Amino acid sequence: MIWVEILSRHRDVTARVRIAGPEARIGRGYDNDVIVDDPYVAAHHLRVFHDEAGQLVAEDMGSVNGTFLDGGKSRLARIIVDGTKPIRIGQTYLRFRAINHEVECERVARPERGMLPFLGAAALGCVTLGIYMLKVWLTQTSEPRVSTYLTPSLTIIATVLVWAGLWALLSRIFSGRSRFLRHLLIVLVGAFALWLYNEFAQVSAFAWTWPTASTYQYVAIWSILAAMCFFHLREVGPARLWLKGAIVTTVLVTVIAAQTLQQSEAYSDSGRQNTTRLLMPPSFRAVPFRDENAFFGDIAGLKAKLDRDRNQARPVEAGR
Amino acid sequence: MSRALRLILTIGALIGGSALAAPGPASVAEGIYASAPPRLLQIRTLVADAGRQISIGSGFLVSADGLAITNYHVVSQVALEPKTYRLEYVAADGSHGDVSLLGVDLPNDLAIVRLDKHDAPFFTFDKSAMEGGLLKGERLYSMGNPLDLGFTIIEGTYNGLVEHSYNDRVHFSGALNPGMSGGPTVNGEGLVVGINVATRRGGQLVSFLVPARFAATLLQSAREHETAPDLRAEIARQLTAWGAALYKSLGEEGFRSTVLGPYRTPETIAPWFNCWANTNAGATPKPRANINSTNCSSDTGLFVASDLNTGAIQINHSYVKTVDLNQFQFATYLTQLSQPRLVGGGPFRKWYTPERCHEDFVSAAPVQDHPPLRVIWCAQAYREFEGLYDVALIAVTQDHSSEALVSRLSLQAVGYDDAIALGKRFLEAVQITK
Repeated sequence: MIWVEILSRHRDVTARVRIAGPEARIGRGYDNDVIVDDPYVAAHHLRVFHDEAGQLVAEDMGSVNGTFLDGGKSRLARIIVDGTKPIRIGQTYLRFRAINHEVECERVARPERGMLPFLGAAALGCVTLGIYMLKVWLTQTSEPRVSTYLTPSLTIIATVLVWAGLWALLSRIFSGRSRFLRHLLIVLVGAFALWLYNEFAQVSAFAWTWPTASTYQYVAIWSILAAMCFFHLREVGPARLWLKGAIVTTVLVTVIAAQTLQQSEAYSDSGRQNTTRLLMPPSFRAVPFRDENAFFGDIAGLKAKLDRDRNQARPVEAGR
Repeated sequence: MSRALRLILTIGALIGGSALAAPGPASVAEGIYASAPPRLLQIRTLVADAGRQISIGSGFLVSADGLAITNYHVVSQVALEPKTYRLEYVAADGSHGDVSLLGVDLPNDLAIVRLDKHDAPFFTFDKSAMEGGLLKGERLYSMGNPLDLGFTIIEGTYNGLVEHSYNDRVHFSGALNPGMSGGPTVNGEGLVVGINVATRRGGQLVSFLVPARFAATLLQSAREHETAPDLRAEIARQLTAWGAALYKSLGEEGFRSTVLGPYRTPETIAPWFNCWANTNAGATPKPRANINSTNCSSDTGLFVASDLNTGAIQINHSYVKTVDLNQFQFATYLTQLSQPRLVGGGPFRKWYTPERCHEDFVSAAPVQDHPPLRVIWCAQAYREFEGLYDVALIAVTQDHSSEALVSRLSLQAVGYDDAIALGKRFLEAVQITK
């Protein structure tokens, strides 16, 4: 007895035929045991049978396009079938298994987690949303209005849900399971990381007078987004992670390079740095006050930079 | 602020109106104008390749060998871009010819030119006016070619020198119009007392003249140095010298201390500043922090090119006190007030280098007199004028979380060392009241 399985392009089983006899004939013709509606398959393409040693063998019956192992480039007249690697004829993937083919052990189901993951996700969601609303409140200097909280909170909720939903849809398409909760957790952790970095950048710009983290905030934002995408892709399918990582990194590097270029061009066009000089409550100061003379010493050092800028600007003027 | 200004100007116009109502000697103007036309000129700036005018102004002959005076702003394009533009004069009889630029006086907006015209009648300067002998209310007659409509004579009154102006300007109550720039204003005897230069937009009959003595000086120096200098370099030299004198004078005039909330703030004593107070107390919706501020801006703007006015100084102090903002919200509020906002007097790419900023926490000694500060310093250099910079200095007090003083000093066309010295004095003058 032989089982013939027809596989999809993603190597999922789409049809499974039990052949009672010692041999299975496969092709487009109606005198076959298994009929394959693939125009690149011969009328009588393949014969599968047990040889003298008892091994399952697939034999090409003289087709024009030939028979291949999955991923292989050389056509094979006779293949000893191991029951795991699919065989390709035309554009169709097939797998043959004898009844004694060994299957994997039964997986142990994890104990039912009940509502816990839902509650965890909901709690993390509420905390993240709460943090963002707190931020809105602390920077609110005009008349307080409900809409200043409602609009951003609805926007955040919608964005998070749509983002997680799209990834869940991709998961559903490519791996069959949506894993919405896991995608949601990734988004929420990402949003939390974005907030954390933003706070760090702002506090360091004021408290330590160290604006670098704030200036290059876009690098951190894109990196966090890239990390989120990588984890989403891992949820979609754990195969070929290095390739996914490489793609995400390439896109990340391209985006950061493009934005760096765009910012430096904007600076040379407008002559203004695109940064807000943030103030915080005086108690946030973490460095000692600088002596006035030392401060003006630092400022005197700027003159060399300005004069260098002027000398660099000169050659353009010389063409006048 | 603008409302108060308008009110003051209206009163000025009423007084002028009653003076004009007195019977005027119409025959004097007729007599003056009868002899003026051969000495008057229209000065046109042409695009050299197109041969058409791009701007027009007036001028007048001051010597028999063809020297004439006009405004710098009438000929500035030729002074800065001699390859692109050239000058031409048109006389009252319709004759015209080439004009060459001999020299400029940037601070007083004057230029001296030479015409290929000889043995023509010319104007002479009024000696007594140059020594300050004019009396307020004296009749003056201004001439020029307004809006290219033809040569015109306009009657008005002398009203002394403009107060709050750093460069000397005569306040002339008469209707100057575009195109009359560079034309002469004469007294009843036909002697030049000033050169038409500007009017106040939004005012009525408020016009300004450059005193004749500057034109006489320029004529004298043009006679002494017959060869025309490299005008671009000369303009840079005059601008640098003018800026150095301006900031030296600002430093010498000094600052007085004014109380604003619990702080003492420096306020300049220099008479060429206009100071106004401002408050948001009456704003709707009710402000969540009170701002009371004083703003002093100098009347020192200088025309350098059609797209560059520079030399303005601003000193601004805002005392901010929270009404119902918590300390984080208050810090956000202060953030909005304390952005550097370096304001240039012209398009950035043409005249300036990119801004460079530095900020830090600063304390001046002795600590018990001076509030701790967060200070931001931003500067940009002028591409073409060596040694000149625009600077903005902002200081925010750090001794309370619910009230603060935001002090701002903006200096245009300043030498870097002058800016540092003034900035230091400025910070040291921000103090706590006892």
